[in-house]
Amino acid sequence: MKINRRKLLSLMGISPAVLAGVPTFADPAKKPAARGSDGEGKIEVLNPKGLPPAIQLVPMAPRVANLDGKTVYLVSDGFAGADRFLHQIAIWFQKNMPSVHTIYRLKAGGLAGDDPKLWSEIKANGAAMIMAYGH
Amino acid sequence: MEVEKLGIPTAPIVTIAFEQLAKTNAASRGMPGERICFTPHPMTNKTDAQMYQVLLGKDPVTGKPFMPEVIDAITKPLTAAETRTGEVRPSTGPATYSDTPDRLQRFYADNNMTDFQPIILPTEEKVEWMLKGTSHKPDEIVGKMSAAHGAFPEWSYTVRQVAINAVMAGAQPEFLPAILALASTGQTAIFSSTSSFARIALVNGPYRDKVKMNYGIGALGPFNDANATIGRAWTILSKNLGAAGMPGQTYMGTTGTNFNYNNMCCAETEDKLPAGWQPFHVQHGFKPEDSTVSIFTGWSLTNVCYFGVPYHELINSWLTHYFSTNNGSVTLVLDPTVAADVKEHGFDSQEAFREYLIKNSKTPAWLYWQHRDKELAQAKQGVEPFASYLKMGPDADIPVSRFVPRRWPGAPPNSPLPTTIEIVVMGGETNTYWLGGDFRHTITTSIDKWV
Repeated sequence: MKINRRKLLSLMGISPAVLAGVPTFADPAKKPAARGSDGEGKIEVLNPKGLPPAIQLVPMAPRVANLDGKTVYLVSDGFAGADRFLHQIAIWFQKNMPSVHTIYRLKAGGLAGDDPKLWSEIKANGAAMIMAYGH
Repeated sequence: MEVEKLGIPTAPIVTIAFEQLAKTNAASRGMPGERICFTPHPMTNKTDAQMYQVLLGKDPVTGKPFMPEVIDAITKPLTAAETRTGEVRPSTGPATYSDTPDRLQRFYADNNMTDFQPIILPTEEKVEWMLKGTSHKPDEIVGKMSAAHGAFPEWSYTVRQVAINAVMAGAQPEFLPAILALASTGQTAIFSSTSSFARIALVNGPYRDKVKMNYGIGALGPFNDANATIGRAWTILSKNLGAAGMPGQTYMGTTGTNFNYNNMCCAETEDKLPAGWQPFHVQHGFKPEDSTVSIFTGWSLTNVCYFGVPYHELINSWLTHYFSTNNGSVTLVLDPTVAADVKEHGFDSQEAFREYLIKNSKTPAWLYWQHRDKELAQAKQGVEPFASYLKMGPDADIPVSRFVPRRWPGAPPNSPLPTTIEIVVMGGETNTYWLGGDFRHTITTSIDKWV
């Protein structure tokens, strides 16, 4: 199914303009949908939504020009099969980009958990990271 | 994303089933252009050879060759948009909407602000009426909620916003303190997971009678105003105040669960507890005169009535053979007649009954040997007690309970052990039924503080 990113972001209360990096205050739902009976008078009702946190835009890391001779960390978040999938990626590098050194690691803390120790290791020794997660 | 912040280019790989979730999450965390690469779904059950073929194929979202796309993700120079900084404050729409009642009902449903049953439209007048149920100021912040803590941003909300959602659920003002108490925990009724989580909201203390909650016949059924609407309000506010329950984005439960409609909101039958047994909230550190709501999280309940053996033995056997999503903790909901029978067989407290069950329940061999590769190797080398367990055969019940309390992974070494078997007494004494399921208790919080 083709995803309408504008619609899904609006449902999250996020301006689609975020995608363009324009920090504006969007209004995702100005008017109720024009469906249903028109036979009664209008009333005013309150928006039941809470207060989403402000989003701090995070610049992405500068990319490496090429991976020749570089170390790429292959990191699993622990979902079943991610380790085997990343092993296949390591094999792909051996066959197709043999100068790339790969290191496999299992991230601590599950899907949402942070692993500062691993991040420090990657910062010290790696040029890039490929992370696999999902089912 | 944490690694990107450290200056390391990253290529996250996600299965296509999580496309909306991954993109939305990246945007809500400030990196809308995160270079996510997608594979088919599911991947878990693929062979190694099939996984390799995925690498040679195309990203099902972009249509680009998969591995070149992964390489591009970490090598292709950034665009200006990908390096932007600054703050974006998301909008959730205007403060009010104006239209005919029918159209507004449709609008709220179409925008996933309801449980898709008709609501009471939250007019200013209705909300002011609802706010009479609490002494707290309308602008007071009640708490923060996320569809899954750590995975999604936390939204915050005021007393007034909780009251708006309480009106929508059809609640009465006197129910508002319980609804505020639930909201104050920050625990969503609709947790984001592929596993279709359910919740139980259990009320204890004098408040049960003050708002005329049902803890007798049909306490878990659609027979009571307070039970129905307090539980319903928790679901509706989880959607609107915690951004939970958006299928594909903040909700991924593959089958979903009907329990989410009102979260089995009920009260404990405290006046029918056997002598020596304590109300649930008292077991968790509150006084009998306190009013509280306790939250349980799990998935399913089994409904049992069998007359062949005493109930404590029946429940013990059930625990041995019960298998569900959560395999290490359970909640028992006993009709007062069942609790009385358990008491008559010598269990003078829930704690005594719990200890009996932990000591005597077993684990089927097929289940015991799963994830025990080390013990299996020792068993084959003659190491006891594993060798004896192995000799019992594949159809035996191994004398090791699944419900021995263990700390959660990552819990501090000296933290209290979790209670793995919770016991609640509830029901109308029309027959000796009891329920058991894979629920665990997460929190008990005061209702009194929200009056």
